[in-house]
Amino acid sequence: MRNLIIIAFLLVFSSCLRLDSFLYNPDTSIEAYGYDSYEGEVEIEVGPEYTIADSMIHPLTFQSHPSGDDKKIHAVYLGNIADIATDTIILYCHGNRDHLDFYWPRIKLLANVGGKNRYGVLAMDYRGFGLSEGPATEEGMYEDVDACMLWLKQMGLTDDRLVIYGFSLGSAPATELTANPRTLQPSKLMLESCFASDDVFVEDASGLSLPGSYFTSLQINNGDEIKKVEEPFFWIHGVDDSFIRMDTHGETVFGNYRGSYSEAHRIEGGEHGDVPTVMGYPEYLNAVYKFILR
Amino acid sequence: MATIRSFILYSLILFFASCNATRVIKPLEKGEKQLSAGLGGPGIIYAGAPIPMPLTSVNYAQGVDSNVTLSVGMHTTSLAFGVLQSDVSLGIRAYQSKSERFGLTATPGIHVLYDLYENNFRTYPQLEATTWWQYSESKQHLLYGGLGTWIELFKQKAHGQVQTNELMPWITVGHQFNLERWSYLTEFKYLGFQHKTAPSVVDFVSPGGNGTIGFYFGVSRTIGK
Repeated sequence: MRNLIIIAFLLVFSSCLRLDSFLYNPDTSIEAYGYDSYEGEVEIEVGPEYTIADSMIHPLTFQSHPSGDDKKIHAVYLGNIADIATDTIILYCHGNRDHLDFYWPRIKLLANVGGKNRYGVLAMDYRGFGLSEGPATEEGMYEDVDACMLWLKQMGLTDDRLVIYGFSLGSAPATELTANPRTLQPSKLMLESCFASDDVFVEDASGLSLPGSYFTSLQINNGDEIKKVEEPFFWIHGVDDSFIRMDTHGETVFGNYRGSYSEAHRIEGGEHGDVPTVMGYPEYLNAVYKFILR
Repeated sequence: MATIRSFILYSLILFFASCNATRVIKPLEKGEKQLSAGLGGPGIIYAGAPIPMPLTSVNYAQGVDSNVTLSVGMHTTSLAFGVLQSDVSLGIRAYQSKSERFGLTATPGIHVLYDLYENNFRTYPQLEATTWWQYSESKQHLLYGGLGTWIELFKQKAHGQVQTNELMPWITVGHQFNLERWSYLTEFKYLGFQHKTAPSVVDFVSPGGNGTIGFYFGVSRTIGK
């Protein structure tokens, strides 16, 4: 009997621990978004020349509920909302840290591609990040980005004018929703410091061919999903990225792309979060602009 | 970007491949039975100090004859992640001096891992050679050192990438303090020294940026003979 109890305990305990939530590092302590007045840590610093006028900053909320798990999602649109019906829009999917304010300088930078407010930029906090409700989940993240697409569609955006940009964790919804479109089919995919899959994380850390399923139940698989993407693909990665390695993660995603056009930017000296800084903001913005124009 | 959560994630991942101290240092006598519990793992720098990560495992060993000991281990930390991980090995007395103070133990074995979520199965053959020295007058306590490796059988990694690491070797140095029924083990292991661990979000105890130093503690009790 004693042995049976021990075995039962082990079997129950055996299904307790998964590391899925370790993928997300959200900060939900803020009471409001600060944007330019935010005094906490930000990933990169940009100069005043990239400041966006308050009149062009539009805080938004959406109900994200495609699968019935209704959550209020916070987002911000930079630009003239009327332009959504006629011009190209960049949908920005941020990384796994904190909230929109942490990535605010990056979002502002994209609002300077091709000149100040040349393109509208929409960025959101996935559920569980910042003020967005609910716990962070993989499917929830896809739903929240798709909810943004739904709003853009309601504002008049069409497939051919949507460019989706994914940074780090954001490469997952950007790739997923380009490979398997729901509300809109992005016309171009841009990935910065993307990861391939949890399998590659585990292999990098262990040096062995251990599968990711030993630690997580995540289904994120940019390395395979990119094979379905036919739209033009912009790929940029820091050569010295120690968080998501370029040689194992980034190159795998880039190498598996089989679509119509791709361009790679390997940034010497670039770490995980500082690629635009190391590349130089004018050069970075020019590269993004040229890709959007083509 | 080296956040604490990422740090924990990476640390846990490396646990599984460096999970236990040496199973058989000196073969048991024929019929002798021993239960062991182990704690320890790769060393990391935390708050400026090196600490071992708390991997746990339990082990049963029995002397098949005076030269061969069968050892079966279960990895309890892996189990907590829904991964059944077990190791089976044979400790073979390859050499023993006439004075019985020195010896060499060869330990072939195998690790098997199976996850309950996606049914992924992995097996890693293991080879290990351990030389020991009963240094005390009573021949009671042991100093030991050895070499070992896991053998990677998979030639492909995720997404069709080529697996270039065919071995995951280690060097071991340890001490076993033996009382009548209880013994206590302290071991250092330099694991994966051909595998580059730096740069990394985890600050491993990693000489030259390669591999990691592991710290292990074990306690054993002889339960029958």
